[in-house]
Order: sequence, then structure tokens, then C-alpha cells
Amino acid sequence: MGSKGFTLWFTGLSGSGKTTLARQVEQILRDRGMKVEILDGDVVRTNLSKGLGFSKEDRDTNIKRIGFVCHLLSRNGVVAIASAISPYREVRDYNRRMIGRFVEVYVKCPIDVLTKRDVKGMYAKALAGEIKGFTGVDDPYEEPLRPEILVETDKETEEESVQKIVRSLELMGYVPGADASGETSEEEEEKIRQRLRDLGYI
Amino acid sequence: MAAFWQKRKSDRRVCVFGIDGMPHTLLRRLMDQGVMPRAREIFGDRLLRMRVTLPEVSAVSWSSFMTGSNPGTHGIYGFTDFDRGSYRIRFPAFSSLKTSTMWDRLGEKGIRSIVINQPSTYPAREIPGILISGFVAVDLNRAVWPPDLARKLRQMGYQIDLDTQKAARQPDYLFRELAATLRGREKLLEQLWDKEEWDFFEIVVTGTDRLQHFQFDAVEDPSHPNHSYCLDYYEKVDGFLGRVYDRFHSAGGGGDGAGFFALSDHGFTRIRQEFYVNAWLVQEGLLSFRTSEPKSFEEADPASKALCLDPTRIYLHRKGRFPNGSVEEEEAEELVLRIREKALALRFDGEPVFRGVFRPEEIYSGPEIGSAPDLVLLARDGFDVKGWMRTGPAFGRSHFTGMHNWDDAFLWTGGDVPGEFDITSLASIIEKRLTAEG
Repeated sequence: MGSKGFTLWFTGLSGSGKTTLARQVEQILRDRGMKVEILDGDVVRTNLSKGLGFSKEDRDTNIKRIGFVCHLLSRNGVVAIASAISPYREVRDYNRRMIGRFVEVYVKCPIDVLTKRDVKGMYAKALAGEIKGFTGVDDPYEEPLRPEILVETDKETEEESVQKIVRSLELMGYVPGADASGETSEEEEEKIRQRLRDLGYI
Repeated sequence: MAAFWQKRKSDRRVCVFGIDGMPHTLLRRLMDQGVMPRAREIFGDRLLRMRVTLPEVSAVSWSSFMTGSNPGTHGIYGFTDFDRGSYRIRFPAFSSLKTSTMWDRLGEKGIRSIVINQPSTYPAREIPGILISGFVAVDLNRAVWPPDLARKLRQMGYQIDLDTQKAARQPDYLFRELAATLRGREKLLEQLWDKEEWDFFEIVVTGTDRLQHFQFDAVEDPSHPNHSYCLDYYEKVDGFLGRVYDRFHSAGGGGDGAGFFALSDHGFTRIRQEFYVNAWLVQEGLLSFRTSEPKSFEEADPASKALCLDPTRIYLHRKGRFPNGSVEEEEAEELVLRIREKALALRFDGEPVFRGVFRPEEIYSGPEIGSAPDLVLLARDGFDVKGWMRTGPAFGRSHFTGMHNWDDAFLWTGGDVPGEFDITSLASIIEKRLTAEG
């Protein structure tokens, strides 16, 4: 189960915590021996989708491109983690159909909290009319209707959200649990044997 | 965030500072000599000498501490054991414990524990709180609960133990790494102390045991070239102890130190002679091998009557217990008496080697007594008993200079301790303190 690839798709408003959570989950899955690649919306726009703007059409193209790369990675045993606002439901569902092994994580945070947080200073500019077509301010964000995982970053700590995501992936069978067999493997036993010899016990 | 754990009154907290293998006698001396001034200031004249369970090795002692029971109940008789009905040696894991730990029991009452570098808890499993396993943990990924904490530890460069093979050969490596692992443990403690909710906090220093296995002669001999390095390490441990004690009190741990416990899991003393039980059993005609250099008890002759597992456990080669076992039930009693008599009569340079040879029912109680060895040896200080797979002379020496002993562990707590106590008494004292209404 855990050796098969899948796509973990983080969607949510700008500043909601998608990238932070994606990076945390990435590390945990790597620690569990999985191959992981992150496709961050902001980064993708500087290469794969360079030149695309923020019209609905361009946004859809960008999300479809990310989805296509996720599809390729997932079918080759890699966990593809996408972190992009991806505001339109239809395109997210398009990717879901294409990829199949697709887990949607809705990183939810109310707009008033985000406006206060405003880490990148974007909301202030959007509200002042300096940026046009800003998702959540003057451009729509279509909430997922049935995301596999919902995290609410105004109510949960980062750690709690990460745990919720990882635990959900375990329950869905996408990620192997941390080994809880309680037994030592043959390889471990050999190392233990050596240590006990070193200290003169055996 | 809303705490899942019931927050305890701070004066009901408990902090345990374990110093693996630290002998009462040596600690007293180092306190008096001014090498461990914080220990002297904290422990004063209330330092107690403590007995542990047999055999006096960390795997057994710490299991006895954490469960509050003896091996007849918790089922751990050593670092190794036989697979049932086989000669195959297995290494009991944390999951092999046959009874609950105090952390589990405390957790049922909403009390949260943080436990760092606890020997004999590998692979780590869920406890109500945080657990970082100590010796014999070999893989950090499996030594940590909750598992995802492993990443943080790796980022911090936390190391479970030093390379024991290298430590035996290179004293400079040993001293350097002892200091480094101690620093790592303190760093981790600092990370968890304030950031996590806890009622019970335990940290175990295991470097003392490593040092004493390889350098006990240097510890004891002021003219030894490594003596000052040894003292330097004890000074570092002393500083760490003092800082943990101060933290505990500044966090409202109670000015009388009643919630603070310091202990070791066994004593240590200098080796005069090593004694190889299997070689002795061969000499006594009780054990023979089909090969000249046996590597496993599978090579034991079916006619063998007894064999020894580390360090002091003698098992009769019973029919039914071992695949080629030949000792019948009616023969067992006579054999036990014979081996006991021979062991107690054993002399080296005119001195007795053993101070006691025990049957399970004399030292153990509980439902796991059926898997106990048939006899457990207790050597006199200076005679280091080894269960090595070995033939040839029964006495000898190797590069080791220090050995464990049974009745020279130490305990300190500002609270009350019953008149008769040993390492199994502590869990109930701690649990009572943490769960008492107040």
C-alpha cells in the first residue's frame, strides 16, 4: 500500500498554511521511506507555468499542468504533494479524475483571520485595490465540497494539522504507519548483538 | 490549545534523574571529594544505598523500575532469552514486558509522562506522553514515541548512544562522545521541558555505565592517565543533575525535593577476575559441545545438563524446554542442588566466588516465574560473571575493568521511602505522589 504513489493536493486561500503543512508532511513521509516531490503553486509559476497570468483560463491551465505532473509522478510510485490555491472546483475535480489516487486537503482559514495575518502583505494591497483578481477578495474561491481531509488553521496548531493529515493518510492506507510491531528485525538484532558483545554481556 | 491531558497541580509533579550504573559508594566518594558538588548539596546525607533485582543488569533493573515489579511479573530476565522451545537467542523488546509500566498506569488517570533515554524500551511504543528509548535502541526512527518526533531529534543531532565498539578501543573517542551525548540529552530536555505538558519527567544518563565498563580502573586510580578525564565526566553529570534539579524547583516542584528522584539501576565495582560459567559447566561435566568452538547452544551435546545465559542465569537442559533437552523432571532437583553446592564451594585464591545461588522462588514472584532460569548466581564484588559461549579456563581477564553489582545502587528523594525498599518499590511511591488528592 504505502509503496504506491498518490497525490496529496493542498487547496486553500493564500496564507492559509498550505506550503508550511505540505513541507511538514513531506518530511514525515520521507522519514517513512517514501519518495516525495512537492509542486508548489508559487514555484511552478516561475518555471513550468512561466508566463501564465491570473485570468481564470490561465489559472486553470496552471492547475492542470500541476495536475499532469502529479499524475506522472503518482503512477511512478512517487507521492506528489501539490500546494496551490487552486480556487476552482471543476479543475480540481478534473485532476482528481485524471490521477485517481488523489487526496484533497482543504486548508481552511476565514478571510478575516488571513487579512489580519497577512504574512506577505498581499491582502492589504488587494483590499486597497492595488492587486486585482485576488482570490478571496475580488476573485472567488470555491470550497471543496467533500475534501478527504479538512484542516482548520485558525483553530488547530501546525502540529495538530500535520498529525491529522498523516493519521488520515494512514487510515486511508496511503501511508504505512510508523512501525508499531514492537518486534525487532533481524538487522536490528544483529546490531543489538554487537552492542551487547561490545559491553561484554554476551 | 485545549489540553487533552488533565493539567496537574505543579507541586505534584515528579522528576526522575537516572544515572545508569552509578554506585552509591563511588557517588558518595565523588561528593565528598568535591567532584560532584551539586550532588552533595542536593543529596546531603540522605543518599540511600539500594538493592536491585537479579540479574543486576540494566535490562532487568530498569524494567523493574518502570513496572514496579520483579522479573517474575514483568518477564524480563536479561538482555537475552531463549525463544520458547528453541536454542535461538532473542533480545527481549519493550513489547516483551508482561505487565504495564507506571507511565501507562499514570496515563489512565490523565497524567502525562516524558521519558528520555530510558533503557529497555526499544522499539518505542505509545505511552501517554513522549518516550525516547535508550540502550539497546539502534534505530532512531523506532526509538521515539510519537514517531514523528524522530525528525526533530535528527535535526538536533541527538544520538542515542556512542559507538561502543570504538569506545572500547579509543579512550579519546569515549570521553569526547560521552560529553557529546550528555550535551544532546540536555538539549533535548530543554526542548521538551517547557514546551510540553507533563506531570512526570524522566531522563537517564547512560554514559556513566559506558565509562565504567571500560575505564573503571581509571575512575578508581588517581595515578591512571585517564583519571582526570573520568572525573571531568562526573563533573559534567553533576552539573546536569544540578540544572535539572533547579529547573524542577523553579517550575514549582516543591522546595523539599519530595517530587525529585535520583537513582541508579545497579552499582559498579572493579573487576578482579572474570568467571565464565559455561566454561565452568564444561569442566564440571555438565555441558559439552559437538564442536570445538561453539557459536550457539544448538551445538550443545544432547546429554548436556545445564547451560548459562548472560550473565548469571543457569538453565537446566530440560526435556520439553529445549529441542534436544535431556534432563527429566525427577532428575532436576538433584541437579539444582548439585550445581548450587558446587558454585558455593568455588574458590579463587582461597576466596569464595559467589555470595549466593538462588532458585526462582527465592527471588521472584508472579505469573512469569515459569520462564525464569533454574538458578541465578550472585557473585562477590570483583568476580565478574559472564555467560559467554566459551570453553577452556573458567577464570580469566579481558579488556573490561568494571563490573555491575547488586546492592550498591543509589537512591535519593526528598520524600519518604519505606524502611525496606528496593528498585521495585519506587513506581508505587511515584504513582502515589502523582495521583494523591491534594
